Amino acid sequence: MPSESRLPAEPTLEELSAYLDHELDDDAKARVAGHVAGCAGCQARLDGLRQTAYAIRALPMETPPRTFTIPATRRESFRWAPVAGWIGGVAAAMLIIVVGVTHVPFHPGATSSAGSTSPVSGGLAQGAAPLSNKGAAAPTGSPGTVSADNSRAFAARNTVTVIDPRNDARRLSLMINADAYATDGWIVVDGTMSGDSSANVGQIRLVLRRGSYGVELPLPQQTFTNSDSIGFEGTDSIAALRLPNPVSGTYTLSATWTATDGSGVTLFAELPVTIK
Amino acid sequence: MDDRDLVGRARRGDPEAFTQLMMQYQVPLYNMALRMVGRPDDAADIAQEAFTRAWVKIRTLRDAPFKSWLFQIAANLCYDHFRRGRRYGEMPDEESNKVIGLGILTPDPQERAEASERNRLVRASIEALDHDMRLAIILRDVNGMAYDEIAGVLGVPLGTVKSRIARARAQVQEHLQRYPDFFPSTREDAHAE
Repeated sequence: MPSESRLPAEPTLEELSAYLDHELDDDAKARVAGHVAGCAGCQARLDGLRQTAYAIRALPMETPPRTFTIPATRRESFRWAPVAGWIGGVAAAMLIIVVGVTHVPFHPGATSSAGSTSPVSGGLAQGAAPLSNKGAAAPTGSPGTVSADNSRAFAARNTVTVIDPRNDARRLSLMINADAYATDGWIVVDGTMSGDSSANVGQIRLVLRRGSYGVELPLPQQTFTNSDSIGFEGTDSIAALRLPNPVSGTYTLSATWTATDGSGVTLFAELPVTIK
Repeated sequence: MDDRDLVGRARRGDPEAFTQLMMQYQVPLYNMALRMVGRPDDAADIAQEAFTRAWVKIRTLRDAPFKSWLFQIAANLCYDHFRRGRRYGEMPDEESNKVIGLGILTPDPQERAEASERNRLVRASIEALDHDMRLAIILRDVNGMAYDEIAGVLGVPLGTVKSRIARARAQVQEHLQRYPDFFPSTREDAHAE
């Protein structure tokens, strides 16, 4: 404890630790140094933290057990096949929307199953609207729910972007890496949440459904952040999902993103998925 | 050549540039993953996947520094590893691994055994931390990142970084104090004379 009343205020644990790392501004650094110089107790706390940091830093750096590699070319390694390449931001998303609406037909063979209007189990998607490249009207079942159709949606083979009609900047893009999967295959789900500074990957819900039965996919992980968007990705084993038997069939992958402003507005994106 | 040039070339599809980035970061990235998940094979899988994803997605990298972005990908993979229920793996004895020696070689068998035991105790104390604190202290004390770099990796404010590192150190210190034969100087009363 300080032995003199003139000592600067006792530093917090965070300040002592940051002091060790030279991460305090000049004023705070001077204040901590001034206090520690006159306080044996805080000197001891500081030394204890210092020795702890040294002990961790003394762990040996180990060499990886194998060589890391990348595919020879990014194109060959790229598991996606979107019509306009990788969607990395709003500009690319906009390009795909335009190209998609005017030129790209909806994936044949997936429309029938994607047309199901059965609700997803778990109450995530009441009134879920089917996707259609025609933009056919589909009712939204609950206030504040924006379907892929009544927003300006685009659905290519394995890509969809939906835009909040009340806020053009807020968009949800969803992609999968194939149209069809083996029952023992892996599905890679990728996407981008744009235009909402409060967005985080925990707000995304992914559901793979067939008819009225759905399975929620594990929370995807965040893959990148920048000033106006967040990327997410999840890789899941088809076999590990609790899909109904027979597992083969046509499904719909749904992604929902609910605004955190209390409005209840939800962007809703769907893609057809076939499991063979 | 600095990261920016290499990243620029890699964004244009130059695998050689990306390979140079991999060579630069493979050891720190692998060691971050290793200290997070514990098992060398799992850590190597995470590092490999992080590099693959970074290569595939490098065109989405805007203003963020490559290093923070790469470590963020790997950190997310570590969290995914835990989410999938995979537990911290017991590491084999480091003497059976290839180790980049940063310390002084200790040819004496007893000293070597003591050093090995000290390292085991430190690893165990890191393992006992929750994932958020573990990652923060690893990025700081294993990878030597500055606080603002760590904030970029974790996507949290600087104050959160500061707090996580401090609390992690305090918990590790408390753990190590149980072994005064190995860590006498971590005891606060050892200094307060």
